[in-house]
Amino acid sequence: MNWTIRVDWPSCLARGLCAELLPERIHLDEWGYPVINGEVTTDVLRHAKAAANACPHRALRLLKAT
Amino acid sequence: MSRIEAAPALADDGTARRSLIRRSVPRTVRTDPPAQVVANPGPVLLSGVLDGPSLAAHRDRFGPMPRLDLDSVLATVGAGAVVGRGGAGFPFARKLAAAAAGKRRAVVVVNLAEGEPASAKDTALALLAPHQILDGAEVVAHALHTTDVHIVTPADRPAVGDAIAAALAERASSTGRGRSRRGLPQWRVRAAAPSFVSGQARAVLELLAGRPGLPVTAWQPEAMSGLDGRPTLLSNAETWAQVAAVLRLGAQGYAALGTAAEPGTTLLTLPHRRDRDTAVVVEAAYGTPWADVLGTDVDRPVLLGGFHGTWAGAGALAHVTVSRDELRARGLALGAGVVLPLRLGQCPVAMTGEIVDYLAGQSARRCGPCLNGLPALADEVRRLALGDTSASWTRIGTVVGLVDKRGACAHPDGTARLVRSLLTTFDDEVILHLSGRCSR
Repeated sequence: MNWTIRVDWPSCLARGLCAELLPERIHLDEWGYPVINGEVTTDVLRHAKAAANACPHRALRLLKAT
Repeated sequence: MSRIEAAPALADDGTARRSLIRRSVPRTVRTDPPAQVVANPGPVLLSGVLDGPSLAAHRDRFGPMPRLDLDSVLATVGAGAVVGRGGAGFPFARKLAAAAAGKRRAVVVVNLAEGEPASAKDTALALLAPHQILDGAEVVAHALHTTDVHIVTPADRPAVGDAIAAALAERASSTGRGRSRRGLPQWRVRAAAPSFVSGQARAVLELLAGRPGLPVTAWQPEAMSGLDGRPTLLSNAETWAQVAAVLRLGAQGYAALGTAAEPGTTLLTLPHRRDRDTAVVVEAAYGTPWADVLGTDVDRPVLLGGFHGTWAGAGALAHVTVSRDELRARGLALGAGVVLPLRLGQCPVAMTGEIVDYLAGQSARRCGPCLNGLPALADEVRRLALGDTSASWTRIGTVVGLVDKRGACAHPDGTARLVRSLLTTFDDEVILHLSGRCSR
């Protein structure tokens, strides 16, 4: 089963930890906000959870892919 | 980082930049609500406008609204194929079914907060036929066994709030003398701040919840979890009036106008041909040729769907009808029904630039990609409009990609749609501008 990463945009303040913890799926745009590249597969799920938990503004959520 | 320096997008008030734009490009797009709204009688929603907006006239013409149970309402609005008229075009029956399936009692919201300056259809309905709107909300609230009905009006169009208040007062006094009020809605009216995004669904729910009326992230559809987590059936004012019409006429009667796939009518807002301060609202049956709606303007380029809309090139509408399906097949969208023909001598690049500049200023400034990306995009399109040869097609495409679908609401998406449509519909004109020229 795959997961999708959703950003709570009003909460995100471009701290950038997510991109450091999940470079496989997240890079930062020119202003420092996350750009999500594809769904989270089991091989990176652990890192994705770490990224969501590390966000100081709780702006990342993992949702089951539909 | 060089981009941020070139376009001081992170500055807190972009006043310096905006004044530069004002000096450079003459303003031709009206960004305030119209000072006056004109509507001719129409076949369904606007059929009684010459009778005046009173409840008595409304009841004389249309009779009392039938009280229907949920199953009948669902069947009829489903057969009538009523879709949301706020812009998204989502099937009303599906939203209603979702709200009815919730465990908690539903909330009904009538959205009259017409944030788009070029739109006046909901204003026209409120002023000319408010009981059409209220009938729709009342009968559906009854079917949902709820009495919680909220109405959100636009603060910058005070006449709308006044008209709704007068219409509600009439309804209250008509049920006053000994007649039972049981099951009738507890209407509550709130005014939304004058801003392009304050009519967005989640912004409206935030306002009703007592917080700033700004868009927030929706983790679930409003119909499943909206106001206070309750199932919330929030629809545009015209949608409610269409619901009333189909329930009164029956699906078959409603389908006397329109096409088999798209029964009924839709409201459109056009600019007045001579008076810049006036908007014209017309009710057109689906399937009406655009030539009948636009007259000779049908051969001109037309911005369909307003500031978040798409450009139809010159002549593109000549053999097309007013149909969401037909337009979609051509990469166009009707949105909330705003129709803006390009005026003679007006440059589509300049007009788009003005609109993007306005939209950048209307960001709620909460979501990073919108806060940074929209001013950057406005700057690019403005330089393109001015024939500044440092403007770049690639750069515009990049910024469009960086704002699209990266916000709590559809404001960045709609702005991206408009700019994308400029690049595809007017590619020749854009190329001309990149070399510092303009054909107009």
